[in-house]
Amino acid sequence: MASLTLRRPRSGNRVNRLMVEELSLAAALVNQDDSVRAVTITGSGTTFSSGWEPFRLSSPGELSRYQGARVIASIQVPVVAAINGDAIGQGLELALAADLRIAVSSARFAMPQVSHGLLPWDGGTQRLARIVGRPCAMEMLLTGESLDAQTALRKGLVNRVVEPEELNEAVEDILERILAGAPIAVAYAKEAVREGMDLVLGQGLRLEADLNILLHSTRDRAEGLRSFSERRAPVFRGE
Amino acid sequence: MTEAPAVLYHKEGPVAWVTLNRPQVLNAYNLAMRDELYQTLEAVRDDPEVRGAVLCGAGERAFCAGADLTEFGTAPSQAIARAVRWERDVWGLFLSLEVPVVAALHGYVLGSGVEMALLCDLRIASEDAIFGLPETALGMIPAAGGTQTLPRTVGISPALELLLTNQRWTAQEARERGLVHRVVPRAELLDQVRRTLAGILSGGREALALAKRALLNGMDIPLGEALDMEARLASSLLIRKGSAGVPGRPKTSTGR
Repeated sequence: MASLTLRRPRSGNRVNRLMVEELSLAAALVNQDDSVRAVTITGSGTTFSSGWEPFRLSSPGELSRYQGARVIASIQVPVVAAINGDAIGQGLELALAADLRIAVSSARFAMPQVSHGLLPWDGGTQRLARIVGRPCAMEMLLTGESLDAQTALRKGLVNRVVEPEELNEAVEDILERILAGAPIAVAYAKEAVREGMDLVLGQGLRLEADLNILLHSTRDRAEGLRSFSERRAPVFRGE
Repeated sequence: MTEAPAVLYHKEGPVAWVTLNRPQVLNAYNLAMRDELYQTLEAVRDDPEVRGAVLCGAGERAFCAGADLTEFGTAPSQAIARAVRWERDVWGLFLSLEVPVVAALHGYVLGSGVEMALLCDLRIASEDAIFGLPETALGMIPAAGGTQTLPRTVGISPALELLLTNQRWTAQEARERGLVHRVVPRAELLDQVRRTLAGILSGGREALALAKRALLNGMDIPLGEALDMEARLASSLLIRKGSAGVPGRPKTSTGR
């Protein structure tokens, strides 16, 4: 398991170029390291991230240096966002790139870029609508108004809301459940959902079937079946 | 002694009832069930009298608790496993049915049980129903379309949560997340299903079929193309029906 902490506490963990660079390094390490089975991302202090740190862009090609959500979305194992406080603007965009989101009850969520005369550049106009649906995304984007945690839960923006002192435990619980699965199967399940949502249903079904057939060659699948018939917990090796 | 059929089939008027029938093993899905389900669904598809269908599970304890793992791992090679998957594409056949299909869900609805329910158009659950996708905890992933149909039904985050964390959802939780349309007391489950289908069947057979197709196919393609498709389907129906569908006239559909 690897954990990432957005740590610019004096500026509300605002996203800057250095943070994106460090996220990229971490993501590369995670993707190369087979022993990492899940990743958490959280913010230091009591804010997840308040948004972007203003920068000057001289050419369109430079924008990717400021795109942290793109980096998080490139991680192949499940990513759990432990949203320890407000996730605003690009901060929310980072959280949207994770697979599961657990938020503290005091957290607020907003996408205020448009009300500042800007357009989100880290997936905010795309991932938000795919997660909460078009009406809610449109409202958040156009008004810039924030949602409280309970509303975010109702809209499907977060999977769970807990009290701040329960956050670690809730994240541990989710991680434990993810780690109990067979590593290759877990990664394939994530891939099937993520890639499949961009395909027409028929193609998505073929992807799922092909990943299933690939899993036939894994030892973990055989172990899963054996453990089931022997009524014991499986021991997976990621092979 | 001949073995009991793994799938039962009967008709109540225009409604086809398909019952998963291996109650001694919680209606676990096995090869026999696949073959019989395939034949049964073909019969549903090809019977002009059938205007709607119900999928339910026999016995008290489960709709379907998943695949019968005792029959797993028997394919001699990946190439053969792949060929077998598409030789009898029971899930594709499910999706190709033109009539509305309602799943009546009770007890355990796990693994391929959830997936079969997701291939139906409406899902009505009794209060005791329990939902889960335990595949990754067994070294597998869903194989009956669950990785595709679940996020399209409940959204990507709840889908990933159910898939990756081996959780169980109660009927109420499934209702809140949109996995089932309605939760009813166990004793009323089948009656509710009958009533729901009766309400649906007051629409014309052709209109229902086209609505299903428009929705299923349209969600995956760009909006402009989807609107064109809708207009094509609607105009074909309008032309054939003449003025039968003029607003203000009472609904007197015969289904033809």
